[in-house]
Amino acid sequence: VTNERIAITGAGLVTPLGDTPLALHAALLEKKRAIAPLASPLAEEGAAGEARIADFDATRYANVRGMRLYGRATRLGICATKLALVDAGHDAASGGTALPAVDLGIVAATGNGYLETAIEYDRGLATVGPQHTNPALMPIALPSAPGAAIALGFGAKAFSITLADGGASSLDALALGARLLASGRAAACVVVGAFTPAAEAVLAAFRAGALAPADAFRVLDRAHRGTAFGEAGAALVLEPLTRARARGAKLLGVLAGFGTTFTPAPSEPASAETALARACEKALSAAGWSGSDVGLVSAGANGAPAGDRAEAAALARVLGQRGDARTPVTAVKAGLGESVDAAGMVQAIAALVALGEKVAPPIAGLEEPEVAGLGYALAPAAIERRRALVTARSESGSCAALLLSCEESDTHVV
Amino acid sequence: VTRRVVITGCGLVTAAGTELDRVWAALMDGTCFIRPLREAEFVAPGMEGLMGAPVELPASDALDAAVDTDARRDRCAQLALAAARRAFADAALPREARADAGVALGTTMGQERQIADLSDRGAASGGPAAVDAGFGARSDVQRLAGVVAAQEGLGGPVLVNVTACASGNAATAWAYDLVATGTADVMAAGGADTFTRLIYCGFSRMGALSKGICHPFDKDRDGVSFGEGAAFIVLEELEHARRRGARIYAELAGYGISNDAYHLTAPDPNGEGFVRAARQALATTGTDPAAVGYVSAHGTGTQYNDLAEARTMKALFGERAPRVPISSVKSMLGHTNGAASAIENVVCALALVNQTVPPTANLRTPDPEMDLDLVRDKGRPIALDVCLNLSAGFGGFNVCTVLKRAP
Repeated sequence: VTNERIAITGAGLVTPLGDTPLALHAALLEKKRAIAPLASPLAEEGAAGEARIADFDATRYANVRGMRLYGRATRLGICATKLALVDAGHDAASGGTALPAVDLGIVAATGNGYLETAIEYDRGLATVGPQHTNPALMPIALPSAPGAAIALGFGAKAFSITLADGGASSLDALALGARLLASGRAAACVVVGAFTPAAEAVLAAFRAGALAPADAFRVLDRAHRGTAFGEAGAALVLEPLTRARARGAKLLGVLAGFGTTFTPAPSEPASAETALARACEKALSAAGWSGSDVGLVSAGANGAPAGDRAEAAALARVLGQRGDARTPVTAVKAGLGESVDAAGMVQAIAALVALGEKVAPPIAGLEEPEVAGLGYALAPAAIERRRALVTARSESGSCAALLLSCEESDTHVV
Repeated sequence: VTRRVVITGCGLVTAAGTELDRVWAALMDGTCFIRPLREAEFVAPGMEGLMGAPVELPASDALDAAVDTDARRDRCAQLALAAARRAFADAALPREARADAGVALGTTMGQERQIADLSDRGAASGGPAAVDAGFGARSDVQRLAGVVAAQEGLGGPVLVNVTACASGNAATAWAYDLVATGTADVMAAGGADTFTRLIYCGFSRMGALSKGICHPFDKDRDGVSFGEGAAFIVLEELEHARRRGARIYAELAGYGISNDAYHLTAPDPNGEGFVRAARQALATTGTDPAAVGYVSAHGTGTQYNDLAEARTMKALFGERAPRVPISSVKSMLGHTNGAASAIENVVCALALVNQTVPPTANLRTPDPEMDLDLVRDKGRPIALDVCLNLSAGFGGFNVCTVLKRAP
């Protein structure tokens, strides 16, 4: 086990607001919002919204065997993986150099992506019986299917693990991928988040009063009334920094620290605030940073009033800023909706581009912040320090924080 | 700097019971718990004469109504909680040490019953009406570990992986890393799964479900028998455990991991990925293959798995392969999917403590390809310092752990 610093050498994503990191950044700068009234046949119950990728065709991005059979979340994950490998120069078909199979690992943050396929398969069992259901659907209805399909599709033999930490999945997956690389289990790994909302989960959330009407979806705003789901696939390629440097790879940034905590009462603002603040403090301590080292916050806030409040309060506590000089805070879910397993990865990629461009995208639809004391990006905001804090929370109570850096001093090999 | 990681608590919930001593005695005796299932225990549509190894939980393990009012549909959370509770009680971990302690859990499909419940109620009431407000939260896989953390007062990392039947070992590997690298001092690691109709029906259609009782390594083996179960071990940094005077079962020395990237369901027939994971487990823990005294096989009883595993043994141990004791407790407890390798980590820890290894039950005529030291019928006393616990899952996932005698 080493304490090797882990570099990010490739990024890829497929989202309702673009299929390249720069296209997403441009859309976020323009405050675009992809939330539209539900397309689901269950929509008649209410006016809730969600963000879908229009005319998503996985074969436009990647060509792996069995693609047509895979569930939509798996297909989103495959596309993001391909785009990230291409970006990292590890895709032979696009002129890069493929890694030996035993040197490439996969960590998939897609634990709830199986729901759509599993519900369909199980409904078949209950209605027409096992003899009339397609047995080939069983392995792809397992929650492990995305990790299996992606490893198989890209010949990744070092390892494949699929995480199911809900909204904390992507950040936990990055921490796990970094740990597996630091202990020498692979030369590189793709950490990929993918999510698509199953109609039943959307309906359950609506009936639980958790969804906002499509035209009233706001994040961190006094007018927030609930969340909206959005689908996404997003992936980063991780490599030990020395190795990335040695092969002359383009460096998007480095992973500087992680923190993960738990609260048994995620819907109680005080408890959630404390747990998230503790996760951020753990990450800062691991990186040897203080709150004032953070130049951008890519927040996980999703429009759920209690969650937004807790997150804003936690960030205000951690950043500890007074006066006018405030770290810009962005929240990409305002434009993309809540993509649960994939969300942290989308936030991380958006943060990396923002650090690269030195401009924080504004929070679409935010007019009147509910909690004072933060540097909410109401318009594109300049980034002084190219270091970002990314936050995420799960419905079950996990709180996760990730620190990213593009500062020369951090990406330098000691 | 890598810190040493030891096991200071074990919790088991299996068809053989929930008390470590009794489970151990039953396993040593070669008692098979696979039997015809009663309708109240489990049914799968269109299937009759189902066999399995069900768990009978004490009434004191009744699911808290705050978790779910329907213990049948939330059976997996109930099993996970029952095992975790026992592991923490066994570790006698003080409450204050729990604020930064976490839990890593693996499951193959622990929330499948929430989906089955939804489609059954949907069939009865006509679709969307069956979707209740709680379905989203209940079907969230992470909730299995969230329930454990909430009930046991944990404030550290709560991590869930779904790496098919290698999930329990994947959780253990993850928790090991967190303790070994200093991110946490204490982590519970384990797995849980219950009977699921999706897996029964799927295995049946694929011809991988035994028609009777599974018999791993037998020439007439005809597939898997499933079991219910959950298991957790409490992992603790060695000095942390010593300072509080904790009983130490064994050292978790480390792990190896790989993927076959060969097929969505079939393992690589030559066990190439399995061998890589096992070799990595031995190499990264500084273990001479000659020191391995017992191998806890994945041993599911399918043609493919057992053959790949025998080939793995030969690649790993060479000429010594026929002299390395190996067995599969799945022959007694059934294949508990994501819980299996977690249960087998407890089995290895108990084997190291008791200096006895468990047998494979129901092994009548060993497959000639399995020219291994197959421990059969009854447990065998041996001088044991190192165990290797193999696990694999659909999708080519392989994770192996190495356990050593308590330092």
